[in-house]
Amino acid sequence: MAPKLPPQPPLQHSTTAAADGQADSHAAPPKGILRWLLTTNHKEIGSLYLIFSLTMFFIGGIFALVVRAELFQPGLQLVNPEFFNQMTTMHGLIMVFAAVMPAFTGLANWMIPLQIGAPDMALPRLNNFSFWLLPVAFTLLLSTLFMPGGGPNFGWTFYAPLSTNFSPPSTTFFILALHIAGISSILGAINIIATILNMRAPGMRLMDMPLFVWTWLITAFLLIAVMPVLAGVITMMLMDINFGTSFFDAAGGGDPVLFQHLFWFFGHPEVYIMILPAFGIVSAIIPTFARKPLFGYASMVYATAAIALLSFLVWAHHMFVVGLPLVAELFFMYSTMLIAVPTGVKVFNWVTTLFRGSISFESPMLFALAFVVLFTIGGFSGLMLAIAPADFQYHDTYFVVAHFHYVLVPGAIFAIMAGVYYWLPKWTGHYPNEKLAQWHFWFSIIGVNLTFFPMHFAGLAGMPRRIPDYALQFADFNLLSSIGAFFFGASQLLFVLGIILCVRGGKKAPAKAWEGAEDLEWTVPSPAPLHTFETPPVFHRTPH
Amino acid sequence: MRSRWCWLLAIYVTASVSHTQAYGWNMPVGVTDVSSDIYGLHMTIFWICVVIGVLVFGVMFFSLFRYRHSKGAKAAHFHEHTSVEVLWTAIPILILVGMAVPATATLKNMYDASDAELDVMITGQQWRWRYEYLGEDVAFNSSMSTPRAQISGEEERGEYYLLEVDQPLVLPINRKVRFLMTSDDVIHSWWVPDLAVKQDTIPGFINENWVRINEPGIYRGQCAELCGIDHGFMPVVVHAMEEEAFDGWLAEQKEMAKEEAMGVDREWEMTELVERGESVYQTICASCHQSEGQGLPPAFPALANNQQLISDVDWHLDTILNGVSGAAMPAFRNTLNPVELAAVVTYTRNAWGNDTGDVVQPSTVAGKIAQ
Amino acid sequence: MWPVVKSVLAALLGVQNNQKRQEDFNSGRPAAYIVTGVVITLLFILVLIVLATLAAR
Repeated sequence: MAPKLPPQPPLQHSTTAAADGQADSHAAPPKGILRWLLTTNHKEIGSLYLIFSLTMFFIGGIFALVVRAELFQPGLQLVNPEFFNQMTTMHGLIMVFAAVMPAFTGLANWMIPLQIGAPDMALPRLNNFSFWLLPVAFTLLLSTLFMPGGGPNFGWTFYAPLSTNFSPPSTTFFILALHIAGISSILGAINIIATILNMRAPGMRLMDMPLFVWTWLITAFLLIAVMPVLAGVITMMLMDINFGTSFFDAAGGGDPVLFQHLFWFFGHPEVYIMILPAFGIVSAIIPTFARKPLFGYASMVYATAAIALLSFLVWAHHMFVVGLPLVAELFFMYSTMLIAVPTGVKVFNWVTTLFRGSISFESPMLFALAFVVLFTIGGFSGLMLAIAPADFQYHDTYFVVAHFHYVLVPGAIFAIMAGVYYWLPKWTGHYPNEKLAQWHFWFSIIGVNLTFFPMHFAGLAGMPRRIPDYALQFADFNLLSSIGAFFFGASQLLFVLGIILCVRGGKKAPAKAWEGAEDLEWTVPSPAPLHTFETPPVFHRTPH
Repeated sequence: MRSRWCWLLAIYVTASVSHTQAYGWNMPVGVTDVSSDIYGLHMTIFWICVVIGVLVFGVMFFSLFRYRHSKGAKAAHFHEHTSVEVLWTAIPILILVGMAVPATATLKNMYDASDAELDVMITGQQWRWRYEYLGEDVAFNSSMSTPRAQISGEEERGEYYLLEVDQPLVLPINRKVRFLMTSDDVIHSWWVPDLAVKQDTIPGFINENWVRINEPGIYRGQCAELCGIDHGFMPVVVHAMEEEAFDGWLAEQKEMAKEEAMGVDREWEMTELVERGESVYQTICASCHQSEGQGLPPAFPALANNQQLISDVDWHLDTILNGVSGAAMPAFRNTLNPVELAAVVTYTRNAWGNDTGDVVQPSTVAGKIAQ
Repeated sequence: MWPVVKSVLAALLGVQNNQKRQEDFNSGRPAAYIVTGVVITLLFILVLIVLATLAAR
């Protein structure tokens, strides 16, 4: 199947950008700010995405802390409800679109070419453009907070007609910012698919790819399928607000529920977009530190594909109380319950990978193990939410908030942190300070559970979402959550410190930084030179 | 020693057998057959998750302990085992199919609003509920009655802080009540946990739902869909009464409605209007225009010393009746009756130093509305 | 045809062994799998609709 290749020359490594400039066809790259503005290198762009995402994580986190500070006790002490609604909205928008998605894109940029033996992404200049769209989009979004009437205050799900007929003047800018971010995601996804399908090292078949590459391939298809739907719905919003149309306005013949169908047709695959790369990262880390191959590689790939496909069939489980016809309600209940199966199967595969392994507990592994446990807990509350009649009591309460924070924070975010600790030796040439990373880990575990576990009870006890003040029976749960939130937020500073220290120095890491690590990225030196795999490597297939 | 264990066992068994769930930690069992069915589904799926969690995490933590590299564990090298994988895929599917059957039955029941004995129209508004007993000519608004001073912490908070209203929805027990729900502005959601009724209220559309309450009592809930600044301040209170008591209450309400309608025609004193108007203002208007009329500009203009308001009574009345298109001010012509409208206009024209001395009669307002 | 359908069904469940997977990928006919996948997905949706309609009666 693989084409017959001429004998391979020995692998060439270039050690510095300057040396590279002399040996290569393009002129020496610019220095300073221009270097970063114009870079087309997947490693530099990956770093840009990651630094951007970390910064936005703290900004989104500060918005959350404003919310939690107000909710620390009953009563309105710190902010008025108008501003509170802006904080909850911006927290959601920033975390989803500016923290989690760009972090995964950054990891993709850094690691996909290295894992498939490619010299760079397929479309390097498009890659640069995709990144730089993001600071523009989010500067615009954040600036709406300072505009007259304030920023978006209708929840990150921005349902019409609250977001069309009753929204602040800045809403049109919010729509523009989301369009720009959406374009960035779509272009990035195109790049990833083109790279994975065309630039694998000779001898590497699709079924030889690391799971992180597989999960990103599938995620990229999801992005291309649904980001245009988001673009469509926000454009319809724009029309309703500024051009007198009535897509979502009953008075003009439209339907507010249409908004919800369109939004969630995007929104549900979106949450899988935010978790599939996490599955890929964890599927790399657990086998490495258990020193044992991933159990059921083929099943894992198929299960990921099944999840992606099923994710298009479940959207209205976000709309169980909207007044759907009974048949529709039943359809979505059944499809939602079924999607738990391939997801659960993946958890069993990870646990079986651990069984009879030889396990060590370095920081990447700690975060990956915490992911398995805590993401599963989030999955359980998701299964409960799938039971439509029960959902009438859970919908729009803190039970839902608990569910999605468990799958996103100790889910997606822990997986990202695991990936960062795992790959930092490759990026910087140093191991992260293990003691500091362990402090970060344990503080994060305590913080995350203290913040979000009480929310299950608050929701079951009857506390709705998105309220700035609450009845007295919810006070204890909110007190705990607020303490946990500040504790968790502060402990993330340890993460930043750890990264900065690691970039600047630390215990030297060899090419294969972790004993059980198997994939292609561990064959290049640590730190990885600016240009790697300029000649395709000889790929030795290991049996899966 | 033995007797201590016996006591512990007895306490444990009693606690689990008792069907009142942990108060304030779990979903309520509620006071309807539907609410108790839902509670049962919730607890079933919860225990299924607990069992699966114990099994999976059990194997996981066992492995983490038993197969530590630091203790010299050597890794096995198996890659896959298809029959095991098929089994652990098939078993969850069977469990889910098992759950789906009772869930389907409960959902069908929840959707069947036929043969109701009473119809109530529930309208969500920013930021209160309006209840109309269809065919009975009884309708009223239900706004939160917790004073703003409690919210800001100036006064001590009452037991039903944020969960009390001026006029609750009164319903009979043991009768099937059908709800027709809609909204006047944005999507709200009417929810009472003890009744297990939650439904989004969608402007321009009517959703149907129903309840049959088994026990008398007062049941409290909140709006469950973000609807603007006072989303957290529009509670739902249902007062469920014995059937006879309800019939008596309804008859009384019909009488009062007739009297209020007659009040439109008579001449009102300034003091009566101002007193009524102040109460309407604090309940309906203060959330945006603030309790001293200072507003929250630019979104919510000040009314105190507002020159346009002071100089132009027609514009003032028109604004309240018809709202301001493109801004947050809604139309109140259908929410408040002519007496309330006249009262609040009179109050605001004379409060906070506005002192116009103007009096607007309910009959004038009724005439304007009829135009 | 039948082996292709079996493989697609297995993929939808998310369980497959390595050998079958290798055979599928070496068959040289990706189109067969993609088309079968699309058809089976549509059938799956249809089955769910039928089940939901029956349950609602």
